[in-house]
Amino acid sequence: MHHDPPTFQDVIMNLQRYWAEAGCVILQPYDNEVGAGTNAPATTLRSLGPGTWRCAYVQGCRRPTDGRYGENPNRLQFYYQFQVLIKPSPENIQEMYLASLEAIGIDVAAHDVRFVEDDWESPTLGAWGLGWEVWIDGMEVTQFTYFQQVGGFECQPTPVEIAYGLERLTMFVQGVDSIFDIVWSKGPDGKVFTYGDVYLENEREYSAYNFEVADTAFLFQEFADREVECMKTLEAGLPLPAYDSVLKCCHAFNLLDARGAISATERMAYILRVRTLAKAVCASYMEHVACAEQACDESACAEQALEGGEGDAE
Amino acid sequence: MPNSAAHETATLAFEIGTEEIPAFDLERATNQLSELVPAALDEVRIPHSETRIYSTPRRLIAIVSEVGRETEALVETFRGPSVKIAFDDEGNPTKAAMGFARGKGVEISDLERRREGDTEYVFASRQISARPSAELLPEVLRGVIEGITWPKSCHWGTTRDLFSRPVRWLVAMLGEEIIPVEFAGLTAGNATRGHRVLAPGPFTVATADDLIATVEAASVVTTAVERESIIRSGVAAIEDASGLVSVLPDKTLREVINLTEHPTVLEGTFDEAFLQVPEEIIVDAMLMHQRYFPLYHKNGKLSHHFIVVSNGDPAHAATIIEGNERVVAARLYDARFFYEADLKHPLEHYVDALDGVVFQESLGTMRDKTNRAVSLAEHVVQAADLAADVAEDALRAAYLSKADLVTNAVIEFTSVQGVMGSYYAVASGENERVARAVAEHYRPRFSGDDVPTDAVGQVVAFADKLDTICGLFAVGQVPTGKADPFALRRAALGIISILQAGLDVKLLPAIDAALSVVQQAGIDFDLAKVRESVVEFFVTRVRVLLRDEGAGADAIDAVLATNEREPMEIIKRVRALERARQSEPEQMRDLALAFARANNLRDPKLGEAYDRSLFGEPETRLANAIDEAHEAVQAALSAGNYETALGELSRLRVPVDEFFTQVMIMDENPAIRENRLKLLNSFVNVFTGVADFGLMASK
Repeated sequence: MHHDPPTFQDVIMNLQRYWAEAGCVILQPYDNEVGAGTNAPATTLRSLGPGTWRCAYVQGCRRPTDGRYGENPNRLQFYYQFQVLIKPSPENIQEMYLASLEAIGIDVAAHDVRFVEDDWESPTLGAWGLGWEVWIDGMEVTQFTYFQQVGGFECQPTPVEIAYGLERLTMFVQGVDSIFDIVWSKGPDGKVFTYGDVYLENEREYSAYNFEVADTAFLFQEFADREVECMKTLEAGLPLPAYDSVLKCCHAFNLLDARGAISATERMAYILRVRTLAKAVCASYMEHVACAEQACDESACAEQALEGGEGDAE
Repeated sequence: MPNSAAHETATLAFEIGTEEIPAFDLERATNQLSELVPAALDEVRIPHSETRIYSTPRRLIAIVSEVGRETEALVETFRGPSVKIAFDDEGNPTKAAMGFARGKGVEISDLERRREGDTEYVFASRQISARPSAELLPEVLRGVIEGITWPKSCHWGTTRDLFSRPVRWLVAMLGEEIIPVEFAGLTAGNATRGHRVLAPGPFTVATADDLIATVEAASVVTTAVERESIIRSGVAAIEDASGLVSVLPDKTLREVINLTEHPTVLEGTFDEAFLQVPEEIIVDAMLMHQRYFPLYHKNGKLSHHFIVVSNGDPAHAATIIEGNERVVAARLYDARFFYEADLKHPLEHYVDALDGVVFQESLGTMRDKTNRAVSLAEHVVQAADLAADVAEDALRAAYLSKADLVTNAVIEFTSVQGVMGSYYAVASGENERVARAVAEHYRPRFSGDDVPTDAVGQVVAFADKLDTICGLFAVGQVPTGKADPFALRRAALGIISILQAGLDVKLLPAIDAALSVVQQAGIDFDLAKVRESVVEFFVTRVRVLLRDEGAGADAIDAVLATNEREPMEIIKRVRALERARQSEPEQMRDLALAFARANNLRDPKLGEAYDRSLFGEPETRLANAIDEAHEAVQAALSAGNYETALGELSRLRVPVDEFFTQVMIMDENPAIRENRLKLLNSFVNVFTGVADFGLMASK
């Protein structure tokens, strides 16, 4: 009997089911612009501190400079990741990951699955980790990373992050060569909605907006305002809302970058400003949230907060 | 009496099972292990013979044969004080004897007396008894794990131990006995694992001798050497069948060898239509991004076939090939998309966008660098007195040389910088010479690489590299030890190669020009100091280069002692000296000895104004020879004819030898003595500007 390959939404639902059964909290996408699933607070902030954390979620990601007006079958300025974060990393996490591929219809034994060195570093988050990109028959479908540091703080215990590229993965399982041909859903009457039906117009409009229309004066102002807002929020001891301002700064910066409004010399300075905010938020999170978790020695946490706060701010 | 266990041996098997270790880190760790393991056993005196190391991305294995079940017992003997000091007249032990015995942990009564030479001493012997190796091995092997150094290592889970990637299982056995090594929350046992999908396991190992066979039976090729040979023969089979030829760059091959536990060599194809895209991009996409090996036709043209080394099940080769073909198609689609997008503007259009690419924080952007390179190229074309059209092309090429760095294709496929610029230059109507210079100005990229084909490319390459060196020295980014992040040493050697290839400019004035361009760009630095260090940087490169081609350090020093700093001049002189030394070794040695002798005796304060009326015949002959040589040497040097100058100097050998044998320089009469010293001064001065021959006298 012939089975249709899973639709885009099947892939998502199967992954959610799989990781739910593995004990993860299934979150809904974070409602703020992020450049990657990693940047959502459920990963960035929850990587810190001594407590156990397990979550999985779909996250829409914005990369304004990757826009191609919907004309390139492999690139998008808005795309989806499926993000898993588990702290501490389980002993059999690679096997769990491979089993998740089986859950979306990939017979791992019939393919060439490889873990190819790809270490991760985020200068804006002051974060790094070691891991791989996972290839299936040469196609990169996942980033797999053991976080070592976030916001300048040691991650202890060590979280593992698995970030699936949902479009790539679905292209693979459906055997299509253009993102826009991905079958998103198929009704009982056979009515198909493709990725193009859902997002092609979005790509066209946002590419034009990102590259041509976005108001740079407004964005520079937004960056500056959000920077101030972030620090004020931190003074009130509220790292979670403060982190929203960090994300807003990141997005304003990315849009300015796409508009070509940031020169090379300014670029580094902006990245440093974002990093300073991100580190301050992480320090505040360590102080106000992570240390409230049980089994945490408060003085040790405060010490680490101090060290991390002053860390490698080059 | 040694017990029987002392002579019993067994094989030691130790496996560190991991998640995938990065390919090059694995290579280094394998090398380290072959020393770490025997050294760790030696350290605790566990006898053993050969150690063999096996490695795959998911495991490091050491097999040591004939490992003793017990450590070697040891009798250590120490000599103490002489008997005279150790015992008093009544034969009682002194404090010295008691202290010695206590220090060595023996009783006074156990001290032995033995004569050594004329003296009788006391001796203490201490027996270190044999210990069961199995007791020591857990710590020893843990030490081995911790002893491996990694460029990067990580924590995982809740452990605070570090390794390249998480360690997931340990096998440690001495014969059939399990050695419970503990690391990162694991305890070693006798269960290994196989290939991830072909035979995952776990598999129980009965004895240490079975480990490798067990792992190999589980579809794992356990050494890089075997994997390489499988890959090479697979590649050869495809070449034979297809009539195509592959290229296996060393770095990619080494990586691929360490990306699989069970390599299968497969052949894939892509749509021939993509061959319209410049082949350098296709090759970059395949090699750098996917670790595929491109296949070429016999005529050197790229084919639409490629090789992929799979780690999957050979039974599913068709599926795996199909998947890889789709990946290549997507990559090449991107490449063509970028290439075509880039072609929408002339190359010139991208120069301004170089303002968005930082060259170096203090030195500004690539746009700034381009400006400096153009200014420096202006100096070079004038200094080299190049024809107007050549000069014009060189300046144009310098202006365009970095423009492709901001094109989509180069951002995506970095190894094609320069080459893409050249394609875009042609497409924008630049002439062929300019286009070629844009492609070639990165040359020579490594030792032995070609220099740019013609003067246009050479000028651009020279200006680009010299600006890099002078700029970075000016802002204090000087290479130290192994750290040379901007590859300045290679750049300097490249410049020297270009000069040797015939670009007719003097380096020292070019350095001045380059530094002045950097200064005009508003960068503040100590000109004299930086100039000095740049010049010395080049001199050091020249020295290394000359030593590599076999020149003596003394000949190099002799030339440098004249304060000559122009690389080509130093090279020319050292080579001429070495040639002369080879063709007329005795003559040159004598000349050097004579020079050294004269140089030691002479007294510069006296000057050269000798009085011929005080001369005897040998002195007059020498004085005449000096006069002749002086003129001839000066003429030869100003004509740049160093060999002639050397020839002229060598004609002084006979008269100076005669002078030394026939004349007593240190005459009692001070007037005569001083007159002779003045003659020696004048002899030494003839050599000035040629070489300090005294430095070659010892050879």
